[in-house]
Amino acid sequence: MSEAGQEPGEFWDSRPEVITRDILARYQGIGPGFWLAVGITAILFLIGIVGFVFRLQGGFQDRAAWGYYAATFAFLLATVQGAPMVTIGLLFTKAHLRRPVSGPSVLFAVPGILVFLIFIPLLSLIPPLQGRNNLWFGMAIGGAPYTWDTLSVGFLVLCGLAFFWLVSRPDLDAVRQLGRGWRVRLAGLLAGNWRGSHGQWWLLRKWMVILGVLYFVALVITNTVVSIDVAMSLVPGWQSAIFAPYHILTSLQGGVAATIVAMGIMRWAGFRSYLLFDQFWGLGKILLALSLLGIYFTFADFITLWYGRMPGEQAIFQLTMFGPYLPVFLAAFFLSFFAPLLAMIWNQVRQSIAGPTLVAMGVLVGLFLDRIRLYVPAFTAAQVSLEPIRQAPPAHLPDGADLMMMIGFPAGAILLYLLASKLVPAISLWQIKELLLLRTTRRYIRAKVISLAKPE
Amino acid sequence: MQDRQKLTDRQINDDLLRPVERTPRAFWIVAGLLVLELAGALVVLGLVFYWGLGFLGINRPVMWAVLITNFVFWVGISHAGVMISSILRLTHAEWRRPVTRAAEVLTVFALITAALFPVIHSGRPWRTIYWTLPYDFTRGIWPNVRSPLIWDPSAIFTYLTGAALFIYTIMIPDLAILRDRATGVRRRFYATLCLGWRGTARQWRFQGIAGILISAIILPVFVSVHSIVSWDFAMALVPSWHSTIFAPYFVIGAIHSGVAAVTTLMVILRRFFRLESYITPDHFDALGRLLIPIGLGWFYFFFMDFAIGLYSQETVDIAPNILRLFTPPYNVLFIIFIFSAFIIPVPSWFFRRVRRSPLLMLVTTLLVNVGMWLERFLIIAPGLQYKQPLTYTWGGYTVSIFELIITVSSFCLVALGVLLFSKVFPIIPVWDQKEGQRLQDEIQTGRRKVPAVILKEE
Repeated sequence: MSEAGQEPGEFWDSRPEVITRDILARYQGIGPGFWLAVGITAILFLIGIVGFVFRLQGGFQDRAAWGYYAATFAFLLATVQGAPMVTIGLLFTKAHLRRPVSGPSVLFAVPGILVFLIFIPLLSLIPPLQGRNNLWFGMAIGGAPYTWDTLSVGFLVLCGLAFFWLVSRPDLDAVRQLGRGWRVRLAGLLAGNWRGSHGQWWLLRKWMVILGVLYFVALVITNTVVSIDVAMSLVPGWQSAIFAPYHILTSLQGGVAATIVAMGIMRWAGFRSYLLFDQFWGLGKILLALSLLGIYFTFADFITLWYGRMPGEQAIFQLTMFGPYLPVFLAAFFLSFFAPLLAMIWNQVRQSIAGPTLVAMGVLVGLFLDRIRLYVPAFTAAQVSLEPIRQAPPAHLPDGADLMMMIGFPAGAILLYLLASKLVPAISLWQIKELLLLRTTRRYIRAKVISLAKPE
Repeated sequence: MQDRQKLTDRQINDDLLRPVERTPRAFWIVAGLLVLELAGALVVLGLVFYWGLGFLGINRPVMWAVLITNFVFWVGISHAGVMISSILRLTHAEWRRPVTRAAEVLTVFALITAALFPVIHSGRPWRTIYWTLPYDFTRGIWPNVRSPLIWDPSAIFTYLTGAALFIYTIMIPDLAILRDRATGVRRRFYATLCLGWRGTARQWRFQGIAGILISAIILPVFVSVHSIVSWDFAMALVPSWHSTIFAPYFVIGAIHSGVAAVTTLMVILRRFFRLESYITPDHFDALGRLLIPIGLGWFYFFFMDFAIGLYSQETVDIAPNILRLFTPPYNVLFIIFIFSAFIIPVPSWFFRRVRRSPLLMLVTTLLVNVGMWLERFLIIAPGLQYKQPLTYTWGGYTVSIFELIITVSSFCLVALGVLLFSKVFPIIPVWDQKEGQRLQDEIQTGRRKVPAVILKEE
């Protein structure tokens, strides 16, 4: 593994104690590269906050001015909250692939705090329910939409943090026992009474499934209510039943892409022994499948509106696809869906580490553009009316404050991710060691084969 | 899979080829009853073609009803083959082995049955030839390429060709076993079909590559078929049909009913052919686990379609849903539909005891398909029955006994197809089962032996 000057191999070839030592050493050591990344993202985040303060000075009356802010929120909600689903989805399918991937994906739960904070000002931009179409059918039961939207986003973030803490407990206990410095106290505090008893392991596995289910349900509900309340229902006549499922799909796609990019960077930063070709290949195939589904969902939305030729629907068509935001739509569609298909269909690209990583970077850029083409026009055309809009308003271009927020808030999410990677080991120690118990190599006739166990 | 049995190659051959090599009396009784019912249906169809569709009670505005419901339902069932076989093959799910062929066979016969319904629904079946095929191009008579009569047959026959090729490619090694065990005409029949299979390393390699390739290529076809069927409705601007979600909603509904139908079929085949050693409670458990996310996903799409249908709060959009929810008999059917397609089966699959019981799985999966048939009917009939502006011919609609006879006959046709197939070819892949036995392994972790699977070369 990472003994000084030694070329790292694959973790299969190591003993558990060597893996523990190596991962903890990487976790405790903070190099100049890490500080540089923290410094840059912290400065960019500050710039984002300054941009937000500028925007705040204009008040909430002009909804169009907040379109890019809403798009940034929607992008972060999709990627940051979609990433833990990689681990949860692979957990449900009992795929061992999740074990090295778990750390990079679940760490995204921490920037969820920022997603929740960014969401709060958006509540001031959602008009009351009366006099417009909405998901709540005009009934403000329990303070709808404000209360329920806030609760759904908050619950999603809390579930993510709870899942992150739960999965990290055995590793925190390892830090408590084998670590050094201030982390021992902090890890001890977070690990609580974890001693690794049979009962605790049983409970850990049960709660991983329960929290996983809750997280997925929360992700579905949040994407449904937030996407309709914060975008679709603002524009009279916009009535697309596929809008919320499209948000869920692209959130999962963004989550996979964000995890692949994080894995690529971690591999470059020294975790080559753990984040292997198999993980990139496996997630690359999932990314390809989600991209194909993205093309399918977009086409289903397009063909129904295009063929229908209803005047109200044509205006929505112009607003989000073929009107002033056509270049953004085309760029988003190409980067999110078409480029992954074109690139990943080739074995040479799919069966590599650089290929899926580069494609995933493109998907993230495409996803941001996609949210811009959906949320900015929605905020520009927002009206309290039951009469469908007849014409798409002209494109709303970002100003300085918008650009500062669009760079600053994603940088803030990266900053929180970096800090979280020093709160717990970035690669899940116990999951890797458990895999060593469940995998072996054998001679089979003349070949050497891998045998993999899948306990219930 | 935790309940593992060690079976010898001879035992697998004997057990799985028994239905092909011997014909029990029960086979003749069941086949005879099915043929008898189908003969009755032919009489009804003769009357329909003689008197026209009005004989079935179909009239303006409800011109699409039970026949088109059957069409959509059987296209939906046909999605089981690819869902089970192709996706599970690509994801290397070990439990797929005894389930795949029955699912693929169900796909083929369900598709053939589905394809018959638009032809019956035309009222004049012979005319469908020049609606669909460019038979008279010398006089410049072309089919309308924008018509569903072009797109639906194209999608269905592409899928049917792919599915038949899929079954055949995967079945070649089994055909060679049958060739080696048969004599006389049967031997020549299987020898012709197995294309000179000798089981060389090269042949196995090509067969494996072909299986994976067809699995991957057939996936877009699988999605496109039900999407095209859904667009027959969504493009029509009929309130409650014109919805952007219809394509994925139909596809996931098809998977829900298809996987449930495969489970039903597995229970019946297990009992009928005494395949308890091959189709174990573990397989039902796995199918039950698979059905949970599919059922929940379907319900989400159903809810979104329903909620956004009411979203505009316009009379024209709300009216079909009022028909469904509050007007007899649709309201009663709606309650039966929602309970049988979702409320009873999906929560019950959360219980391990239900998932591992073949009888309970039979009941719950049958309920799903009762519900899913009603779902299609409740999409089609109330959507048309709503009184629209500028429509002056107005008639009511009730389901006729003849439509029900045709519906029951469609089930008999599929059952007869599967039964005859299982008489000629093994309904559980023999070679796949043997491969599964060879790939079983165990890993010792501490004091416990954990079941394992040999995956690939290092």
